[in-house]
Amino acid sequence: MTSADHQATHDAVKHSQRHEGPQKHIIVFIFSIILTAIAFAAVIAGGVNTAFTVLFLLLMAIIQVLVQMGYWMHLKDRGHMMPIIFMIGGFFVAGTAIVTALYWVWW
Amino acid sequence: MAHAHSVKRHKGLMDWLTTVDHKKIAILYLLAGGLFFGIGGIEAVLIRLQLIKPMNDFVSAQTFNELITMHGTTMIFLGVMPVIFALMNAVIPLQIGARDVAFPFLNSLGFWTFLFGGLLLNLSWIMGGAPDAGWTSYTPLSTTTYSTTHGVDFYTVGLQIAGLGTLIGGINFLATIITMRAPGMSFMRMPMFTWTSFITSAMILFAFPAITVGLVLLSFDRILGANFFEVSNGGNPVLWQHIFWIFGHPEVYILILPAFGVISEVIPTFARKRLFGYSSMVFATILIAFLGFMVWAHHMFTTGLGPVANALFSIATMLIAVPTGIKIFNWLFTMWGGQIRFTSPNLFAIGFIPTFVMGGVTGVMLASAPADFQFHDTYFVVAHFHYVIVGGLVSGLLSGLHYWWPKMFGRMLNESLGKLSFWFFIIGFHLTFFVQHFLGLMGMQRRVFTYLPNQGFDTLNMVSTVGAILMGIGILFFLINAIVTAFKPKGVADDPWEDGRTLEWAIPSPPPEYNFKQIPLVRGIDALWKEKMAGNKGMTPAEPLGPIHMPSPTILPFVMSVGIFIAGLGFMFSKEDFSNSFMSLIFNNWIVVIIGLLITFGSMLLRSLYDDHGWHIEVEELDEEGVKA
Amino acid sequence: MSTTHAETVDGALPHEPEKATLEGRNKVLSFWLFLGGEAVLFGTLFATFLALRNQTNEGPTANELFSFTTTALATLILLVSSLTSVFAVQAMHRHNVAKLRVWLIVTVILGLGFLGLEIYEFSEYVIAEKFGMTTSAFSSAFYTLVGFHGAHVAFGVLWISVLIGQLFKKGLTVVTAPKVYVSAMYWHFIDVVWVFIFTVVYLLGKVG
Repeated sequence: MTSADHQATHDAVKHSQRHEGPQKHIIVFIFSIILTAIAFAAVIAGGVNTAFTVLFLLLMAIIQVLVQMGYWMHLKDRGHMMPIIFMIGGFFVAGTAIVTALYWVWW
Repeated sequence: MAHAHSVKRHKGLMDWLTTVDHKKIAILYLLAGGLFFGIGGIEAVLIRLQLIKPMNDFVSAQTFNELITMHGTTMIFLGVMPVIFALMNAVIPLQIGARDVAFPFLNSLGFWTFLFGGLLLNLSWIMGGAPDAGWTSYTPLSTTTYSTTHGVDFYTVGLQIAGLGTLIGGINFLATIITMRAPGMSFMRMPMFTWTSFITSAMILFAFPAITVGLVLLSFDRILGANFFEVSNGGNPVLWQHIFWIFGHPEVYILILPAFGVISEVIPTFARKRLFGYSSMVFATILIAFLGFMVWAHHMFTTGLGPVANALFSIATMLIAVPTGIKIFNWLFTMWGGQIRFTSPNLFAIGFIPTFVMGGVTGVMLASAPADFQFHDTYFVVAHFHYVIVGGLVSGLLSGLHYWWPKMFGRMLNESLGKLSFWFFIIGFHLTFFVQHFLGLMGMQRRVFTYLPNQGFDTLNMVSTVGAILMGIGILFFLINAIVTAFKPKGVADDPWEDGRTLEWAIPSPPPEYNFKQIPLVRGIDALWKEKMAGNKGMTPAEPLGPIHMPSPTILPFVMSVGIFIAGLGFMFSKEDFSNSFMSLIFNNWIVVIIGLLITFGSMLLRSLYDDHGWHIEVEELDEEGVKA
Repeated sequence: MSTTHAETVDGALPHEPEKATLEGRNKVLSFWLFLGGEAVLFGTLFATFLALRNQTNEGPTANELFSFTTTALATLILLVSSLTSVFAVQAMHRHNVAKLRVWLIVTVILGLGFLGLEIYEFSEYVIAEKFGMTTSAFSSAFYTLVGFHGAHVAFGVLWISVLIGQLFKKGLTVVTAPKVYVSAMYWHFIDVVWVFIFTVVYLLGKVG
């Protein structure tokens, strides 16, 4: 464990010795603000078919969440296979619960 | 380099309250599991005594309801879960070549939280009545309208706390297996018990939060007057059923998978052959876990989900027979042509196979929605799930306990007593539950406290009760065996079964607190067997001899769990009308809850503020202990 | 395990101090596992809310209650706080403890602002609109879902405050760094849940 550990640490340092700047994260922030604004605007404007609005809002939310998890929580970085597997697992079970609540609770 | 941290060594009771050693926590889990298993077993015998003859009045209907509720809840959450965790704690770090789990502190916290949750639930017997709405606590039966005592509050709060402990344990084992494996032990070289425990832990992680929410909703309905399941205010009882079974069905696979793992360790050892189809075993385990999350609504066919949902869940349920069948055949092919030794662990393992198959077959019968409309809530269902949980899981656990007992305690269990307990257990088991299939098909309803004579139920119920007593005698023999063994001197060999294949048999029994003096290098599946076949005396070390860093013992997990326990009690009785003004002052103003939470969060704060530097075992000490062992 | 200590006395802090020790890496990984479980927890709460969203029991409906202004303000506060916690982690990677502390303090202040707004919102509903926990199935589901999120924010505020104190006392080490990183993960996750809350609860509540 010891030598492998040290090797891994040294590799990690070499790979990411350059410090990333804040630009990328500010872009993600602006992108999130825009997605949020579009979602609010779609609801305030109204007039469009409800089913379409619902799908559109969910799409905006999912894109925003994916971008934030990728960049701000570093899921897009190397060495995040296990976190990705377990997050997908969590969202999958959450999704089954939600689908159930929508279709199989009232009839 | 090595810091000479002084460490306070505790003795006696304090040692057990403060330990963070996975091997000692395993024994704590086993003791707690044994206690609750005993309570649940006594409840089972009382249920069977009530049903021994028609129109019996041995217990009242209300007591009977409490007995069946507590029997189910205790056995599932407090009886078999901790025994599974006992085996996982005792074995996994050893099988993967680690010195401890990833988070020794959390390991201890998980145990104490579980224990205090279980104690809270069982306090209900002496504090105004046990829960009486069945282990599934279906609404509206479990709402304040129909269940007026605090019983169901003990259920919601007690299970909440115990569930928290289980979740902590699950996360800890996931991290341990992902990051603490010895060099060379890739995922596809892990022993099957570690694999199934890994998958079980993942299922715990995804299933327990659902019941957490369910229990929150139910306790809010009962205590805070919320309306989740209150039809008159817009609630919906079917929602509870969904949430319960989204958790509940994965839960039964959480229970059975470690038993599959035990069987996959015991059978190859005593057949002196490697496990047949290792990778298909892994694949089947993962597939069972995935399908386990996709079939919960087969418990709800009779609620009227409609033909589309019923068909989907029927088919998904039947599909589970495929990976399970793969496992059964793999075990049979492992034994095929092997030099089988019928030791007590192997007897339980071999008994497991046909018994579990019978439970599986009735499972496929129940999966058919139209047939389920007939079987639902009859003794056919009771027979089915006792075949998989008792005939399957408990057999598997007894097999594992007999198998790893020498590793955990350094003493061999008596083989004759072991075999005696096996025969009493398996014969008693089939007598108890085989006849219940027919009782169910004849229309005997489950959860009803008595039945009328001359419906053809009388003889079969008598047989069932006699079987239950025989099964109880089998368990008593196991207890006697454990007690007798405790008085024998320690000192079994590293590999007492002589055909051990995995890493735990490469170190002394019981292992020293650091497990491995040097972390071993793993060169294949069945790491120890591979070295044996290569003619080596033991494992090749992967590191030079050096000082070993150990975590410090701490009382904080115990204190944190006491805090949660106090807060739980406070929450349950927050709306109670007390005649005593002091009691109403501290309970009705949430003071007890606040005190409990302060204790818990205060301990968390202490843990965060004061770093645990741990301590070191120096090389000289290692050599001394090496001589002693 | 024996390496844990060797690395703390190494002198120079590595670029990503949160991943310098096995203990630190274990913490980050396990926190991800925990968040997987949290996803199921909130998923089930969302499921409950979605099942009961129209069960207003003749009490106020979502459309009558919610205001765009409060929701937008809360969203903005939480989104900015998520960005400031990113800056905190970036400062940590540069070993700039002073900046790290400042960004964490800003995050805590924004978190408190969010909580204040939520308490104001809830008290408006309870007092002015007569919309309490017991009003309807919809109200129970609303308060439980949004309240669980609010409780997470409150815990996060307390947690990060404790960490700020530790950074003043102990500075940035391989022991404190994983704690900061993990608390930032937690904070982002709270923001992620809020994205779904403002979409599913508030905006879809307005759509009907």
